[in-house]
Amino acid sequence: MNLLITSAASATAQLIANELSDTHTLRLTDLPENASGNIVANELGHESETDDLVAGIDAIVNIGYQGQTGSSPHLIDYHTRRTYNLLQAASDAGVKRYINISTLRLYQDHEENLVVTERWRSDPPAEDTELLAAHMAEYVCKEFARDRLIQVANLRLGWPFDSTAADDTATVSSGLIGAAIEEALISKQLIQWQDIHIQSPVAHQRFITNTAAKLLPGLAVRLSS
Amino acid sequence: MKVLILGGNGMLGPWAVKAMKDQHDILLTDINDPYPEYKGEFQKLSVDDVDGVVKAAEGMDVIVNLSVLRPHRQLAFDVNTMGNYAMMVAAREHRIKRVITTGPHFQMVGQQYEEWDFDLNPDMPPAPGTRLYAHTKALGQEICRVFSERHGIQVITLLYYNMKHSWNLGGPEAPPAYHEDMVPFSTAWQDCGTAVQAAVEVAEDRLASKNEAFFIFPDLPHRKHDNEKTRRVLGWKPRYQVEALWNKEHRQPPSGLHEAF
Repeated sequence: MNLLITSAASATAQLIANELSDTHTLRLTDLPENASGNIVANELGHESETDDLVAGIDAIVNIGYQGQTGSSPHLIDYHTRRTYNLLQAASDAGVKRYINISTLRLYQDHEENLVVTERWRSDPPAEDTELLAAHMAEYVCKEFARDRLIQVANLRLGWPFDSTAADDTATVSSGLIGAAIEEALISKQLIQWQDIHIQSPVAHQRFITNTAAKLLPGLAVRLSS
Repeated sequence: MKVLILGGNGMLGPWAVKAMKDQHDILLTDINDPYPEYKGEFQKLSVDDVDGVVKAAEGMDVIVNLSVLRPHRQLAFDVNTMGNYAMMVAAREHRIKRVITTGPHFQMVGQQYEEWDFDLNPDMPPAPGTRLYAHTKALGQEICRVFSERHGIQVITLLYYNMKHSWNLGGPEAPPAYHEDMVPFSTAWQDCGTAVQAAVEVAEDRLASKNEAFFIFPDLPHRKHDNEKTRRVLGWKPRYQVEALWNKEHRQPPSGLHEAF
C-alpha cells in the first residue's frame, strides 16, 4: 500500500515508519519547521498542497498524540484545523482508510481496577494540552467517519513504549504497534468509526484488548502471549 | 455583574448589549470597531488571541462569546474553535465561574438528526458532522465541556439558527416569505439578545449541571426542535412568536363563532 505518515519527525512516527517500511511504500510528511531529509514539508493547509500530498495514497497513518511540540494554541490548531484539512483532502481524493494514532492516556485518571474498554467515555484533562489535543483530533476524525467520508480506525496505544518496568502496566511494544497498524489497514471487520485499544500483555495489564483481538485477528497471538 | 463580551460587534452583539446594558457593566471586544451607537467600554481584540483574552477577562464575573466566522477555513477554526479555547483558559486563569457560548443549532443537531428526527432537544449528544461552520463551533463547544468538567466552570451554550427582524420577519440574507412555512428554529433578534441576558442572570441552582445547552426559539408548532428546557430553566420569554411565517393567511369562519364549536 501507499501510506502517508504525518508528524513524521516525531518519535512515534519514526517508530511506525520503521515497522512498516518493509511492507509498504511510505510518504512521510511534517510541518516545514520539522521536516528534513526524506520528509515532505507540508503545512496541512486548505489549499491544493494538501490535495497533492494525499494524491495516490491508499491509507493515512496520522499521529494524533505527541506528534507535535509547541505552544498550547499550536497543538490545538494542529489537531483540529490541520487535521480537518488533511481529512477533507483525503476524503476528496478517495483515500479509503485513516488510522488515527491516539493514546490510552485519555483514560489515565480512571482507577486501575476498572475494566476500561472502548465502551468507556474518555476523560481528557484540560490542563494537559497534548491530551486535550489528542481528544480533539479524535473528535474531528469521528465526524468525518460519521458523515461516511472516510473509514477511521482510532488506535489508542498504551504507554510508555517498549518498557519492561513492572509498574508500567499499560506499556506497548513497538512490534505490537506495527502489527496493529498492519492489521488495521487490511481488516474487513471495522465499522466506519472504530476505537481499538492496544497494549502489550504484561503482568497486571491495565487495559484489556479483546476488541483488538476480535477485529484484528492477526494480533490475537501477540495479545495473549 | 462585570461582563466581558467577545466578538460583540457581529449581528447578535448589539441585541445582547441592548438587553444587558442597564443591568451589567459591559466590556465589549471585537476585531472590528463598535457600532457608532455603542457608548460603553470597548477594546479591540481578536478572540483567538489567547493572551489578549486572558488579559481582558481580569476582574470579570462572566464571559460571553458571541464571535462567529463561517466561510473561511483558517478563520473559522481560529474564531469558532480557538476562540472558545481562549475563553476557557481565561476563565480558568481568573477563576471566572460562568461563561456563555453561542453558535448555530447544527453544531449539535447535525444533518442526520435534522433530516430524520423530531423533538430534537439540547441534551442530545452533539453530532455536527463535517460542515465547516457546524464542525468548528462543535469543537469549541467540546473544549468548553472538557474545561467545565475539570475546573467546575459553568458553561451555558445558547444555540440559534434563523434570526429574524421583528418588524417584517425577514432575515439578514433573505426577504420575508409569509405563510409559506419556515425554518422551524426561527427567532426575532430582540429575543436572541434577551436569551443572552437570561443566561448571564440565571441562578446556578436552576442549572442541572455545569454544562448546559439551550435552543433559543419561540413556541413553534412543528415539533422539530424542543424549547421547553429554555423556558423552564432560563425563564426566557420571547416577545415575538413569528406566527406569520407558519400560519396561513387569516380566514373568517362562516359561522362567525371563530370555530368555537
